[in-house]
Amino acid sequence: MARRYDSRTTIFSPEGRLYQVEYAMEAISHAGTCLGILANDGIVLVAEKKTVNKLLDESVYSEKIYKLNDNMICSLAGITADANVLTNELRLISQRYLIQYGKTIPCEQLVSWLCDIKQAYTQYGGKRPFGVSILYMGWDDQYGYQLYQSDPSGNYSGWKATCIGQNSSAAVSSLKTEYKEGEMTIKDALALGIKVLSKTLDTARLQTDRIEVATLQRINDKCVTRILPDTEVQALIDTFEKAEAEAAAAKKEKQPKP
Amino acid sequence: MSIMSYNGGGVVAMKGKNCVAIACDLRLGVSQYNTIATDFEKVFQFGPHLFCGLPGLATDTLTVKDKLRFRLNMYELKEDRKMSPQVFTSMLSNLLYERRFGPYFIEPVIAGLDPKTGEPYVASMDLIGCPEKPEDFVVSGTCGPQLYGMCEALYEPDQGPEDLFETISQALVNACDRDAISGWGGVVYIIEKDKITRKTLKTRMD
Amino acid sequence: METILGLRTDNFCILASDMTAAHSIIVMKSNEKKIYPVSDQILMAATGQQGDAHQFAEYIVKNVQLYKMRNGYGLSTASAAHFIRQNLAEYLRSQTPYNVNLLLGGFEEKTGGQLYYMDYLASSHEVKYGSHGYGGVIALSILERYWRPDMTEAEAYDIMIKCVEEIQRRLIINLPNFHIQIVDKNGIRVLPDITTATVLSKKSQA
Repeated sequence: MARRYDSRTTIFSPEGRLYQVEYAMEAISHAGTCLGILANDGIVLVAEKKTVNKLLDESVYSEKIYKLNDNMICSLAGITADANVLTNELRLISQRYLIQYGKTIPCEQLVSWLCDIKQAYTQYGGKRPFGVSILYMGWDDQYGYQLYQSDPSGNYSGWKATCIGQNSSAAVSSLKTEYKEGEMTIKDALALGIKVLSKTLDTARLQTDRIEVATLQRINDKCVTRILPDTEVQALIDTFEKAEAEAAAAKKEKQPKP
Repeated sequence: MSIMSYNGGGVVAMKGKNCVAIACDLRLGVSQYNTIATDFEKVFQFGPHLFCGLPGLATDTLTVKDKLRFRLNMYELKEDRKMSPQVFTSMLSNLLYERRFGPYFIEPVIAGLDPKTGEPYVASMDLIGCPEKPEDFVVSGTCGPQLYGMCEALYEPDQGPEDLFETISQALVNACDRDAISGWGGVVYIIEKDKITRKTLKTRMD
Repeated sequence: METILGLRTDNFCILASDMTAAHSIIVMKSNEKKIYPVSDQILMAATGQQGDAHQFAEYIVKNVQLYKMRNGYGLSTASAAHFIRQNLAEYLRSQTPYNVNLLLGGFEEKTGGQLYYMDYLASSHEVKYGSHGYGGVIALSILERYWRPDMTEAEAYDIMIKCVEEIQRRLIINLPNFHIQIVDKNGIRVLPDITTATVLSKKSQA
């Protein structure tokens, strides 16, 4: 039955669904995980890289996390080719706003403009939707630090902590239990990000070449965005693994000896 | 009256030893002789070691500044590196030539250090983007002819930052004194590898 | 022919415009208001070709209001000024340029009063005080003499009377009435018009 209604994006199925859009979301649920956490003094993005191959020429320093303008960076999950088109569009929207109003675009406006484009591809004929979900983190003078998520349908929403990509629902629920509202610092957020990602990854151990970490902080009235170098990421992993080992040891000790 | 001298003003840039300097006056006039403001800067920073002066019609000073910022930002986001003065010159030249038959009425001056080698660089351009890259100094604006005279008399190659500041300041101040629609104070930037110095100049206010 | 004046202080910005609407050599109207409230804290005075001034001002006002509707927060004075300049600059190089000269006044807690000078070429600059038109040339020297950043509202209003008095004495064109508006931390207010009568009673007091 579905066959008759899912070949075109612009047609609803009898159950009132848009299959192509749902398939696009399905594509994303296999993509590398990205998670974002809002802290009181900044925001953290942690992303998993899917393509790790020692033969791959690492010409670009980061492949999952992109700077959009002075106040925002984003991380994408989904089809990389589509993602490149969208990051370019995001940057153009930012620069057009800068030329119109002489200041950096407020976060929600940028997300909203991009989602208008994404939405158009679910409605106008002959096109497929963008197979990309995006996590945006940014700062503006109106609402301070913000974290947004958008999906192929053109929906977007603001979050305190959220996740897209593979195993995202599991990650969101563990973020929900561990996120301490109003008490998070950047340091806590980094630790939490690593912890949650390690649980969602299918590999046993975290490795620096598999993940990318970025922070955004407001320092001296300027947004400072940083993609953490491997050494710092390794340090985060080490502290996490140490804490895990200690927790495991404590658990063992509690158990009565046979 | 030419449209190039509607608002008045001038910019000069000079090469030194491992440093460059760029300076502009601060006057904004309207229909030549009505002074509107005496804090209108015509030199803008486009990178850690990259400056560009846009003397000419004030509206185009602002328009071209905004358009340059747009293209520069897109370049730096895409390429993930800073723009060199050479690339910046080509970009500006292209931007201006796109309006070959309805130009922006500015004659830009570019000054900077190469991001990799630290080599000093100055260049100037006409209003449709024909670049000129001399070895010593460049001048532009309504007091351009006067600046040429001053630079020709005072310039020496391979000056240090302090000497270069003195030379460019004297050139600007004395050139502006002989042009009724330039002057009313000036700003000088000295660009060195590890330091940018901004100094304001007092001039005759008449 | 027409004249608009403006000045800013740390606590407010005040704009004045003449109230004459002329057609050729005939005065059609002497109670025309050329100051438009753009938002709760931004004022704009527009002169130039009457149709252009009105049309452009209305276009800007509605667009700034639209921005607030869409986003839930308004534009700052600086952003509004940038937006207006950008529009004016785009129209300048179109088949249908707007022939308008503007003064944009605003107030924000952070910056205090702000005043932007803009002419029909879309030059834009933040100023302490500014003016357009023949009357403005006369008023400028008075503003220059009496302006202080810490003036009270009464003092500023007094300076406006001084300007009007001088315009009425020296300018060959008859400009009997001036409309005054102020914007401060409490928003926009209309102050009493300055007319020939105001100037006369001021004189008899002195």
